[in-house]
Amino acid sequence: MSKREPYELASHDSDVGPQFWRSLEERAKRGDPELKQELARELAAEFPPGHTTTPASEESAMVGRRGFLTLSAAALALAGAEGCRRPLEKIVPYQKMPEQVIPGVPSHYATVFNRRGEALGLLVESHEGRPTKIEGNPSHPASMGAADLLTQASILDLYDMDRSIGARSQGFAKSVGEATGALKAALAKAGQGDKLRVLMQPTNSPSVLRMRKAIAERFPKSKVHSYAPVNESSMREGTRVAFGKPMQPLYAYDQANVIVSLDSDFLQTEAGSVRATKLFAARRRLRSPQDTMSRLYVIEPMLSVTGSNADHRFRVAASDVAGIAIALAAQLAQAHNVRVGDIVASAGKSAPPEAATWINAIAKDLASAGGRAIVVAGSRQPPVVHALAAAINDALGAVGRTVVYADVTDVDEKENAADIAELAQAIAAKQVDTLVIVGGNPAYDAPADLKLEGALAMVGASFHLSSHVDETSDKCTWHIPRAHEYEAWGDQRSFDGTISIQQPLVAPLHGGVSDLELLAVVANSPQTKAYDVVRESARSGWLVGKQYTDCAQTKPGEDECKDAAGGKIPVFARDWDKDWNKALRDGVLVKGNVGTAPRPAVNAAAITAAVMKRATTAPLGPENLEVTFAPCNKLFDGRHANNVWLLELPEPMTKIVWDNVALLHPRTAEKLGVASGDMVKLTQGERSITLPAWVFPGQAASSIGVTLGWGRRKGGRLAEGRGFDVYPLRSSTTMGFATGVKLSKTGETYKIGQTQENNSMEGRAISRDATFEEYKAQPTFADLQSPPPRSLPLWKDQDYSKGHQWGMSIDLNACTGCNACIIACQSENNVPSVGKIEVARGREMQWIRLDRYFVEDDRHGATVDDPAIAHLPLACVHCEEAPCENVCPVNATSHSPEGLNEMAYNRCIGTRYCANNCPYKVRRFNYLNWHNDAVWKKEGGLPETLQMQQNPNVSVRFRGVMEKCTYCVQRIQSVKINAKRENREIRDGEIVTACAQTCPADAIVFGDVNDPKTKVSELTMRDRRYALLAELGTKPRTTYLGKVRNPNPELTAKSGSAPAGGAAAPDHKEHG
Amino acid sequence: MQIFPRSLNKLPLIAGAGAALALPAVVFLVWYYFSPWYTQVGYEPEQPVHYSHRLHAGQLGIDCRYCHANVERSAVAMVPPTQTCMNCHSVIKKDSNALKPIRDSWDTGKAMEWVKVHKVADYVYFDHSVHVSAGVGCIECHGRIDQMEVVRQQKPLSMGWCLQCHRDVKQNQGASQYLRPVSQVTNMEWQRTANEPVTPPRRLNPPENCTGCHR
Repeated sequence: MSKREPYELASHDSDVGPQFWRSLEERAKRGDPELKQELARELAAEFPPGHTTTPASEESAMVGRRGFLTLSAAALALAGAEGCRRPLEKIVPYQKMPEQVIPGVPSHYATVFNRRGEALGLLVESHEGRPTKIEGNPSHPASMGAADLLTQASILDLYDMDRSIGARSQGFAKSVGEATGALKAALAKAGQGDKLRVLMQPTNSPSVLRMRKAIAERFPKSKVHSYAPVNESSMREGTRVAFGKPMQPLYAYDQANVIVSLDSDFLQTEAGSVRATKLFAARRRLRSPQDTMSRLYVIEPMLSVTGSNADHRFRVAASDVAGIAIALAAQLAQAHNVRVGDIVASAGKSAPPEAATWINAIAKDLASAGGRAIVVAGSRQPPVVHALAAAINDALGAVGRTVVYADVTDVDEKENAADIAELAQAIAAKQVDTLVIVGGNPAYDAPADLKLEGALAMVGASFHLSSHVDETSDKCTWHIPRAHEYEAWGDQRSFDGTISIQQPLVAPLHGGVSDLELLAVVANSPQTKAYDVVRESARSGWLVGKQYTDCAQTKPGEDECKDAAGGKIPVFARDWDKDWNKALRDGVLVKGNVGTAPRPAVNAAAITAAVMKRATTAPLGPENLEVTFAPCNKLFDGRHANNVWLLELPEPMTKIVWDNVALLHPRTAEKLGVASGDMVKLTQGERSITLPAWVFPGQAASSIGVTLGWGRRKGGRLAEGRGFDVYPLRSSTTMGFATGVKLSKTGETYKIGQTQENNSMEGRAISRDATFEEYKAQPTFADLQSPPPRSLPLWKDQDYSKGHQWGMSIDLNACTGCNACIIACQSENNVPSVGKIEVARGREMQWIRLDRYFVEDDRHGATVDDPAIAHLPLACVHCEEAPCENVCPVNATSHSPEGLNEMAYNRCIGTRYCANNCPYKVRRFNYLNWHNDAVWKKEGGLPETLQMQQNPNVSVRFRGVMEKCTYCVQRIQSVKINAKRENREIRDGEIVTACAQTCPADAIVFGDVNDPKTKVSELTMRDRRYALLAELGTKPRTTYLGKVRNPNPELTAKSGSAPAGGAAAPDHKEHG
Repeated sequence: MQIFPRSLNKLPLIAGAGAALALPAVVFLVWYYFSPWYTQVGYEPEQPVHYSHRLHAGQLGIDCRYCHANVERSAVAMVPPTQTCMNCHSVIKKDSNALKPIRDSWDTGKAMEWVKVHKVADYVYFDHSVHVSAGVGCIECHGRIDQMEVVRQQKPLSMGWCLQCHRDVKQNQGASQYLRPVSQVTNMEWQRTANEPVTPPRRLNPPENCTGCHR
C-alpha cells in the first residue's frame, strides 16, 4: 500500500506570495529542483527515523524473544501465586486534622516569585500541603493573573531530586546547626567587620534591605556586594545619567502606537515580561478592522521572542545599537523638531549608512505618534543607550503617557560587575577573612577576568547558601542548604511599588535556610525566623508606611500585642492582624501607586557627556566578530539548569532541546565556512569557549549569539556537563557583548536535537497572516485561504447543538511564542520528559507544541536572510469529525457529547493508528514507562519528590499508551461538579485550562462555543477566525485568529501589491 | 481387524453432547466467577481496630457525616482522623483494650492505617459530593453499613454497575429507583412510599462518556 500523496497548496508550490518554512535545510531544498524531491520524501515520511522502530544499534539492549518468554513465565507464576488475593491497600487519615484542609479539594495560596527583580504575584495550588501547580494571581499588578515560562517551571525546582539535603564543610556532611554555629563564631571574631564581606544577589525584598541595614549597624566596616550575572545595572546606570538617580521605567505598551526596542527582549527575558506581554498583547488582539494596532520595531543582534513579534525587525550587531540610538535621536531632533537636539548634535555619524532609511522611517513614525510612543533599551546595552532611550521618551512627550519612571527598590545597589570586581580585588589583597554568599553561584557565573573561582579558596571562612552543592559551594569552606522561595517567608516589592508577602507553601523539604534567616544571623537580628523578620518589617512600618500603634512590641522576636494596661489584645481585634491576614489572602500588602509619580527632569548635559565618551569599535568582520550574551530563555543564568522540563523544552526560537549553541547568520557562516553542528572555538584575547555552531537566519552579520546558563560543572545530575559554558568568555567589561572575537573550527561535529522538523504538517497552509492594510480590505483573509472540504463526511453528522460544547480560540496575533503554555500543561497533566535521544526520534511528550515558522513575504519586507516569524501553538484541536477516533480498534479514543475528543488510557492497547491518522500530529505515545523503574532505574524508581509534584487528578500514563491534550478535562469536571452541587449553571470563564490560565498574552481562551454569550464564542465569530486544515473536514473545536502584521508602508518594498488571501486561494472567494 | 471397539461408535455423539454442555458451562463459569460480583463483593478485611458500624451508626444512630465529614464537599468522603475518635473516647471507654491503637495514635502523633475496603481502580475519579448532592444514598453503593459488624463490600463497584444507575437516572430522573430525597441520603431505613417519585434537586444528567470518570 502506498501512502496517499500529500496535496500542496498553490502558495507552497509557487514562488509568489508568502513562503513558510521551518528550517534553513527545508528552505534550501525547496529552492532547488533536485532537492525538492528529497524534501517531498522527507515531508511524506511523517515521522523522523527511529520514531516507530528501535534502531538496530539498540536492539541488543532490548529484551529478546527468549528473555521475554522467561520474564512472562516468571510473571505468570508470580501472578498465579498473588493473583487470587486482592492487594492490601491502606487509607491513612490525618491524626489531627489541619484547619482548612479538605482532603481531595486543593487549596490555593497567594505568594510571590522573584522573576529577575520583578515580584510576580502567584496563586499556588496545593494538594494536602503539597504544592503542585503555579498560577498567576489576578489581583496582583505584576502578574495580572498570568505566569511565565520560568515561573511555571519553578515548581519542579522545588522538588529537584538533586537539591542539597544538608550543610557541608570540606566535603563532609554537617548539620545546619553546625554551619550556623561556625558562621556565628566567625562573626563573633569579626569586630567592626573590616574583613567581613557579604555577597548577595540584587534584591527586591524590603526585609532583606532591612537586614542589610542591620548588618551595616552591627559591622560598620563590612561591605555588602550585589551581583547577578543577568542584572539591571545598565538600566540603573543609564537612568542615573539621565535623571541623576537610578529609576525603574514602567511601560504602558497598551497605550503606545509605536514601540521601538533597542535590543530589548521585553516580552521574554527582560524584567517585568509578564506585565509587558499582557499590555503589549492588548493592542494586538484586533476585534475588527476599526481597531487600532501598535507597531513594533525591534533592533537586535540575536533573534529574541520580542524580535519574533516585531512588525519590522532589524538585524544589527549589538555594538552598533548605541550608534543607532544616537542616529535616531539626531534624526528626531533634526527632522522632527523633537527636543533631544542638544544631546546628540555633536555626536556625528554614528550608525551604519545602510541603516539611514529605516532610522528615518522610525523617527518619523515616533514623532507622529503624539507621545504615544515607547523607546525601550535592553539590559545587554551599555548605560548610554538607556540614557538616550529615557531622553527620547521624555522629548517625545511619552513620560506620563506611556512611560513612568518609578523609584527602584534598592537605591544602594551598585553596578554589579564593578561591585563583584571590587570583592575579587579585596580577596586578592587578602582583605577578606569571612565571606557570606547568599544565593547565587559566582564561581560559575562571575566575570571570567576576575578569576573568582580560584580566589574563593583564599578566604578563611566562606559560607555559601545555595539550593544545590554547586561550583561555588565546592570552593567555600561551608555550604548551607537554601530554602526554595516556596518554602520560605519573605516579602518582595514589584516595580510599581506593590509590596507582597512571600508565603511558603510547604516547610523546607530538606531543612533549608532562607536568605532572610541567614542575613538575620549575620545581622544578629532579634528575630531569627524569617516569618518573624517579615512580620516585624510589616508591623514596624518598614513595609507599610504606617506603624501599628495598637501593637507595641513586647519582647524582641515576638510580635504579641498588648494594650496600654499590658493586657493581651485578641488577634481578631487588631488592625495589624487584619491587614496582615488580608495581605496573605490577596497576595498584596501595599498597593503600588506610580500613576502619580512626578516626571523626572532629564539631565541633557550628562547624557551628552556620556554620548561623547562612548567607545567606538572597529567594524565587524570575519576577523573581528562579536559575541552577544543572552540569558537563556529556558535556564536563564543557569539557576534552572537542573530542571528537566526546561531542558527538554524546545528553545522558543531555535527549537533545540537539551543543548545550547552558537548562533550564526547563514551569510556569516558561509564566509567562515561553518555548518550547523560544527564545533567552533571562540577566542577573545586569552579567553575562549568551544561550542557547536548553529546556522540561524535571525542573527546579525558577523555577530554570534550565545546563551548563558549551560555547561554546569556541578549542581545536579541533569545540569552537569549539559550544553556548553559560555561564561569563560564573559568579562566584567563585556557583560552584554564582546567584540574582537575570532572563530576557529575544531574539526569536530556535535549532534543537536531539535523538534521543529518533527511532526511535519506536510506543507499545508498552517499559519496565516496578512498586513494591517490587507486585513482592513479583507477582514476574513484567514478563512479565505482555506480550500473547501475535499472529503464528504463518512457518516451522519452528530448533533452538537445542545448542552455545553467546549471549544478554544487561539489568537495568533496575541501569541508571542513565549512557551509558558507548554510548561503549564506539563505541570498540570503529569507529562513526562524523555531525554535528548528520544526527542531526536520525535518521541517528545509535551502535549502542546509551538511551531515556529520562518516567513518570507515581500508584503512586509521579509526575505530569506531576514525572515519574519510566525508562531503557532498547537495541541489536540478536538475535531468534531476526528480521524483518530475512526481508526481506534478498541474505542479507547471516542467523542463526548460535549465535544471532547476523549482518551481512555486504560483501554488503549497502543496500536498508534490514531497518531498515524491524526493530521495535526498532536498525539503522543509512551514508548517507555517514563514514570517508573525502567527510566529511573538508577534512582530506584521515580524519586518521591518528583511524585509529590504530580497532579492527583490526572492519571499517570503507562508504557504503550497514547495520550494528548484533554482540554484539561479534570478542570472541566471539577467545575461541573461544583456547579452541580451548587445547583447553578457554569459561569463563562469559570473553566480555565492550564495553558489559557498562564498565557501572559491572553491568546488562549477556552469555553462553551454553544453559548453565544461566552468570550470564546465571541472570538470564534471574529473575522480573523480560521480552522486549521479545514479542508479535511475535521471540524476542529480549537480555532485560530489569523495574524496581522502592521508594517510601516514606507519600509515595505511593494506595499499592498498582493491582496490578502489572493496568493493562497484566489478561486475560493465564496467560501466562508 | 477392528482397531476401535464398537462402543466407540457413540463417541462423536457423546463428545458432541459434552461439548454442547461444556460450552455453556465455561461461559457460566467465566460469567460468574470472573465477574466483580464474585471477585469483589464480600471483601471483608480485618481492620487495625475492631470498629463496629453496627454499634456506632446502627445502635447509637450517629450520622454518617459525623465521621465522614467531607462527603458533601469533596471527592473523598474521608476516613476520620484519630481526633474524631478521641472526641468521644477521651471520656467514653477510655481504658478499653480494643481502643489502644487509637490512643497510641493520639499520643504518638502517628496516623492510623485503615484497610481500604471500597476500592475503584486508580484511573477512576469517583466523586462523593456530586452523588450525595443528587440524592444517591450511601446505601446504594455501600449497602447496609449500619448492620455490619465489620465493613464488607456489598456492591461490585464495576463500570457496568455504575453505568446501569447512570442510565436509569438519566432516563427516569426522580422516578429512578436509585434516588432519594437529599435529606434522606444517610438514612439507611428510608423506603420509598408507594412508588412515588422523589424530586431531585436539579435536572440530573449523569455522564456516560469516558471522561466523566476517567481523566
